Amino acid sequence: MTMARRTRRGWMETQARRGARLVPAALGLALVMAAATPALAQFKVGIPLPLTGAEAKFGEMEKQAYELAVEEINAKGGVKDQKLVLDIQDSGGRPEVATSIVEKFLTGNKYPIVVGEYTSQCSYAVAAVAERYQRPYLVVTGSADKITQQGWKYVYRLNPPASLYNLGVWSFFKAVAKPTSLAILYENTDFGTSTSQAMKLWAEANGITVKAYEGYQAGAVDFKPTLQRIKSLRPDVVYMVSYLMDASLLMRQSKELDLNPRLFVGGAAGFTLPEFLQNAAEASEYVMSGTLWTPQVKYPGARAFFDRFRQKFGKEPDYHAAEAYAAAYVLADTLKRAKSWSPEDIRDALAKTDMMTVFGPVKFISWDKFTNQNRLDTLVLQVIRKQFETVWPKEGASAPYVFPVPRWRDRK
Amino acid sequence: MSPELAGQIELLLQVVIAGILIGGLYSVIGLGMSLIMGVMRIINLAHGELMMVAMYITYFAFTMYAVDPYVSLLVVLPAMFALGALLQRFLINRVMYTDSILPQNQVLLTVGIGMVLSNLALVAFSANYRSVPVSYAGATLYWDIALGGQTIALSFNVPLLVAFGIAVVLTAGLFLLLMRTDVGRMIRATAQDRDAATLMGVNTKRVTVITFGLGSALVGAAGTLLVPIYYLFPTIGAPFTAKAFIITVLGGLGNTAGAILGGLVLGLAESLGSAYISLGYKDAFGFVMFVLVLIFLPKGLLGKSKV
Repeated sequence: MTMARRTRRGWMETQARRGARLVPAALGLALVMAAATPALAQFKVGIPLPLTGAEAKFGEMEKQAYELAVEEINAKGGVKDQKLVLDIQDSGGRPEVATSIVEKFLTGNKYPIVVGEYTSQCSYAVAAVAERYQRPYLVVTGSADKITQQGWKYVYRLNPPASLYNLGVWSFFKAVAKPTSLAILYENTDFGTSTSQAMKLWAEANGITVKAYEGYQAGAVDFKPTLQRIKSLRPDVVYMVSYLMDASLLMRQSKELDLNPRLFVGGAAGFTLPEFLQNAAEASEYVMSGTLWTPQVKYPGARAFFDRFRQKFGKEPDYHAAEAYAAAYVLADTLKRAKSWSPEDIRDALAKTDMMTVFGPVKFISWDKFTNQNRLDTLVLQVIRKQFETVWPKEGASAPYVFPVPRWRDRK
Repeated sequence: MSPELAGQIELLLQVVIAGILIGGLYSVIGLGMSLIMGVMRIINLAHGELMMVAMYITYFAFTMYAVDPYVSLLVVLPAMFALGALLQRFLINRVMYTDSILPQNQVLLTVGIGMVLSNLALVAFSANYRSVPVSYAGATLYWDIALGGQTIALSFNVPLLVAFGIAVVLTAGLFLLLMRTDVGRMIRATAQDRDAATLMGVNTKRVTVITFGLGSALVGAAGTLLVPIYYLFPTIGAPFTAKAFIITVLGGLGNTAGAILGGLVLGLAESLGSAYISLGYKDAFGFVMFVLVLIFLPKGLLGKSKV
């Protein structure tokens, strides 16, 4: 018995040792083969995205949009006869992970350009790395103002800064809602703080009283005490900035408490995802939100993109998908115009971008404190009969807005 | 009465209601930890992670077999009891009676168990946030009170009310068990004096296994009750371990009646604090109270340990 066991172990050890000797040999062979193959005609783009964690739904949608765009670009012959290939890595929405992914992209893979990320915190961290290594970085979704206010020379942003996300909402407030008071509730992240601060300043400059201005930590179970206090303050409009789970909890609990302002307005992000309609269910009805894009915008190809995306992935894209899709086209355009594919030449070509995308015109300009920042109009959507409808600006609206919204208890 | 005053009264009442309802859930979470503390003199730092396991059982029972979260309690309670008992029998008891460099190495072991559980969940279920979309998630009862010509409208979230009711039933059941049954008497005897209990013929090792099982089943029940109200993800445990710890200390380490009071006090403090001070500091209120209690009432709100 003992003998047998010992013999078997001895055999296994020999096998293991033999295996260990084989591994380097195989590795060596693989290396030789890689070197021997002629340079594959492909251009690799490194994209960090949150594919797991709280922001996974946004990351997943953007990943699908990048893939859709790259598929189309490659079908039309790629860029300068080379195929675009995506190298998408999961950052989990954590800045320290995003940073290490990008360091690997730039030093290990030697990619000349980085695109993407989702949250403001991650984009800001990635931007700092790109600037340090002097490689161009195209910001696609991260919107905290500070990202393009550092005077960085390699950081270009496709989406508008957070403080301008409300342009559409402001125009609606001025023309229609004319609120006299406002309650602001936001997640105290970079994005939440930037957007709500801009809202607060704008409100004060326009003679609207800000009755409550509350930041919260993501992951609160019970918002009811705060919502109840907001209820006792009787504001005209309740404005909230949250990601997906909190957005749903906030609306559900507002309904439970019978909190009845004349209007609920969300600051994009969690309030524009299709999952918001499912999670908040009937509590999402009539909620308005600022947004950067809807399928009803009049940019060429927008509707076609919406249809193709829905057909391919079985769900409706929101502004995040449009951003990622447009970013892939901006990248392809830049690579086509670049003198060479060195980081410097790509950066110079990116700076001269002036094109139309499904997300709108893209041109990087500098004003006030901003540098290399694209400028766009924003829209307002509203949930009407369990669907997102574009309600503002009036031209291009897909449905008439509902204002003021009915009280919770009066709804059927 | 002016509408403003009525609004203030409504705010206060609603905030107190919210605090008590969530406090009921906190009590059940704290009760499990307190029970384990009372009998074994160790803080179970895997408490929140055990709750996470129960939440995933509930989630999969719902998504795969369409079992209502409240019905799944029938599965969760025995499953969590078994998991807790196995952990105690095969892991913690092995360390309990061993001399080692660190006197409290059982506590360190529970930290390790917690890490293993949450990381296994990360690997198995990914870090995604999930929720159980039950039709009654937003169901609400309203109660209008006429007061001095004004109406005060109070609202009660049905899942939270149900959770509170079940929490009361579970607590009552636990006290019946502790006070009226042989197993309960053995648990209390072990908590009071382990050596004396052993001399009287109580199998204290078995008692510890049962106690850890009961503690896990209780926190598991709290997890299941939380599912229709909240959402779940693999690392949800840690903040709830912290809450359970605060409750256990508030109640007087190992005092089960104190844990109930501790849970309610924590719920009220969070609720009042976030309404009248700031929501951003919500978690801080618990810890501030924790420090104050340790300084001024080192034996907890209800005094010495008593199971």
